[in-house]
Amino acid sequence: MLTRRTPLRAAAVAALLSMFAAPALAQEPGLTPTSIKIGLFGPLSGPSMSYGFDVMNAARMYYDKINAEGGIHGRKIELSVQDDRCNANDLVAAVKKLVEQDQVFLLNGASCSAAAVAGKDYVVRSGVPWLMLNASADGALYPPQPNIFGAFSISQRAMGGSIVEFAVKQLNAKKIGYINHDDAYGAWNLEAAQFQAKDNKVDLVVESVNPNISDVTAPLLKLRAANVDVLLIATYARPAQLILKKAYELGFTKPQVLAVNAIANVQQLSENVGSKDAFKNVYIQEVLADKPGSEKLKWVYDMYKTSYPDLASKPDHPQVYMPYGIPSAMAVVKALQDAGPDLTRAKFIEAAKKLNFDSGVMAGPIAFGENERAAQKASIFLKFDGAEMTRVPGAFASRWTYQGQ
Amino acid sequence: MIMNPITNRQVLDLPIRESGAKNRNRIISGGALVVALAVLTVVLPFVTSGYVIYIANLLLVFTVLSLGMHIVIGEAGQFSLSHAAFYGLGIYTAGLLNNAFGLPLILNIIAGGLVAGLCGLAIGFLSLRMRDIYLALSTFAFGEAMQWIFLNWTPVTGGPNGLNFQPAHLFGFTFLSDKAAYPVVLILALVFVAATFVIHFSTLGRSFRAVRESEIAAAAVGIDVKRVKIFAFALSAFYAGAAGGLFTTFSTFIHPESLGFHTTILVLTMVVVGGIGSVSGAIGGAIVFGLISELLRQVPSYQEVIYGGILILFMMYLPRGIFSLIGRR
Repeated sequence: MLTRRTPLRAAAVAALLSMFAAPALAQEPGLTPTSIKIGLFGPLSGPSMSYGFDVMNAARMYYDKINAEGGIHGRKIELSVQDDRCNANDLVAAVKKLVEQDQVFLLNGASCSAAAVAGKDYVVRSGVPWLMLNASADGALYPPQPNIFGAFSISQRAMGGSIVEFAVKQLNAKKIGYINHDDAYGAWNLEAAQFQAKDNKVDLVVESVNPNISDVTAPLLKLRAANVDVLLIATYARPAQLILKKAYELGFTKPQVLAVNAIANVQQLSENVGSKDAFKNVYIQEVLADKPGSEKLKWVYDMYKTSYPDLASKPDHPQVYMPYGIPSAMAVVKALQDAGPDLTRAKFIEAAKKLNFDSGVMAGPIAFGENERAAQKASIFLKFDGAEMTRVPGAFASRWTYQGQ
Repeated sequence: MIMNPITNRQVLDLPIRESGAKNRNRIISGGALVVALAVLTVVLPFVTSGYVIYIANLLLVFTVLSLGMHIVIGEAGQFSLSHAAFYGLGIYTAGLLNNAFGLPLILNIIAGGLVAGLCGLAIGFLSLRMRDIYLALSTFAFGEAMQWIFLNWTPVTGGPNGLNFQPAHLFGFTFLSDKAAYPVVLILALVFVAATFVIHFSTLGRSFRAVRESEIAAAAVGIDVKRVKIFAFALSAFYAGAAGGLFTTFSTFIHPESLGFHTTILVLTMVVVGGIGSVSGAIGGAIVFGLISELLRQVPSYQEVIYGGILILFMMYLPRGIFSLIGRR
């Protein structure tokens, strides 16, 4: 029933509602009219520091560049930096500090896959957008979560699919020998490798080995007996060295292709295998757009030297993974630009889903989709003779997509 | 250095009872600290962020872990370097039971403690045949072997990909945040603290300490040394396993890398720096060193140097532990 007091009450309720509603709309965490706060995290200490220290520096220098150019829709990027030590508990603590205490708008971090997976549940529950750095972290990307984006270097699955594509299209292999690990990472790269082999109508002969294997004779003899046309080595660095050495000793002369996670240091690889003759028919997978140090990537290394002259003068810098920080920061910036000036986390996530751009740094485009949260799926290949690397033309992409298993 | 006159071996340097006034002052300062901590723990969720509560939850778990190590090393005087393995057994048992059967949190924690306790029982039998550095190496080997199993038994533990758990639940309430889990973690941690004090003052606690000081003298007064040593290992492992179960209250993921020797060393550091042989030392060591570790994360470039420096200073100037300042209990 309407009374004389009804309009008064309605006005009072409206005023009360507006008191709560207006700030709620304006108060996206980490956002002011002049700034966007981003939580940048990765390993800044501990034994795994090399996976992320310079990757974070690369992201930071890219954000500095954007700020110097005027920011995004009038907002400057402010960074809140945390060390995750590449450790699951520390990553969760870092993420919680950034989200709940520092009140960042979005997260940009993680260089180590196992630690990154630890943060998944919390990030999904909190709804904060998270774009990883160089962690492959298939475990956090599949099944896709609404607000988590990653694999800016390459996912394990894309690594497996891409290397098979190279063997088929470049080396004309019909029967492919594939050595991976018998762990979760091995299962992931094998899943896409099998898909790509089936799609290309070639055979894949698989030998899965323990990551701590010390004698690789048996799996190699089996693959030699299967008369494979090419040997794909998707193991970690130490078993990969054993495989190359043993393949040479067994007189295996067919092409051998080392996956990106099988190479920690090419010089060390060459020294540990021992003989230069073992590298007569060896290729290595690379996820950058070109050889490290090439003209195409010169701008990244130049930017690093300008931004961090002291670090750049040290012998171990920039670290090998440094360029991987650029595409991740680029994706953050592009999604912020696409989301528009009336920024919200929901708009940012929608914009991130639609990203599709060439970073100029990685082998393939950075592209997400409604059901795709792994950014980069291509790689290039380099012929390696034990000392020099020569680029093989073209890039080779994985076609595996998540089908909701 | 104090020597045992019967065995001619070095014994733990326990403090001599001090004068009444000094003792009273210490009791008052200790009591004030306890009251301050009690108030802080109660008001914490209302005045701070989820991040701080997450750290508080972790510290409470480490407190239970430290108490477990205190029982075997501080009370019973036995070397044990496999605490991270027992902790891991507790986490995996509780998490897997929750995933498979959706059991309530308390049952998962008890199961985690029991599985770890049974393994501790087996290690306890080792202690009958070895001592000192040999026992330390054997328990270290067990810890390493368990981490290898956590890393490689992929179908069960998730291997190097780690293992996700369903959020824990109790009486129909699911723990989806650190703040929601905090009261339960706090209450259960306090239960373990109380139990440790009860053990400390019980016949069992006195038997532990008798064995620690001299197995021969303990046997001479009728203590079954073998049984006491085995029980110390089993009880210590139960605490560690239960701490693992407690961890699943607020965390839904575990990776084997978190269960390596460094975790055992961290807990050992907490117990030693807190004050070996002291219950309050084990608690204080866990809180102080847990906090130091987290605070040092904010200064990544210097944290290893600062951490090492703090440890050396503690050992130099407070060899009986932080809590020797306020009492030994």
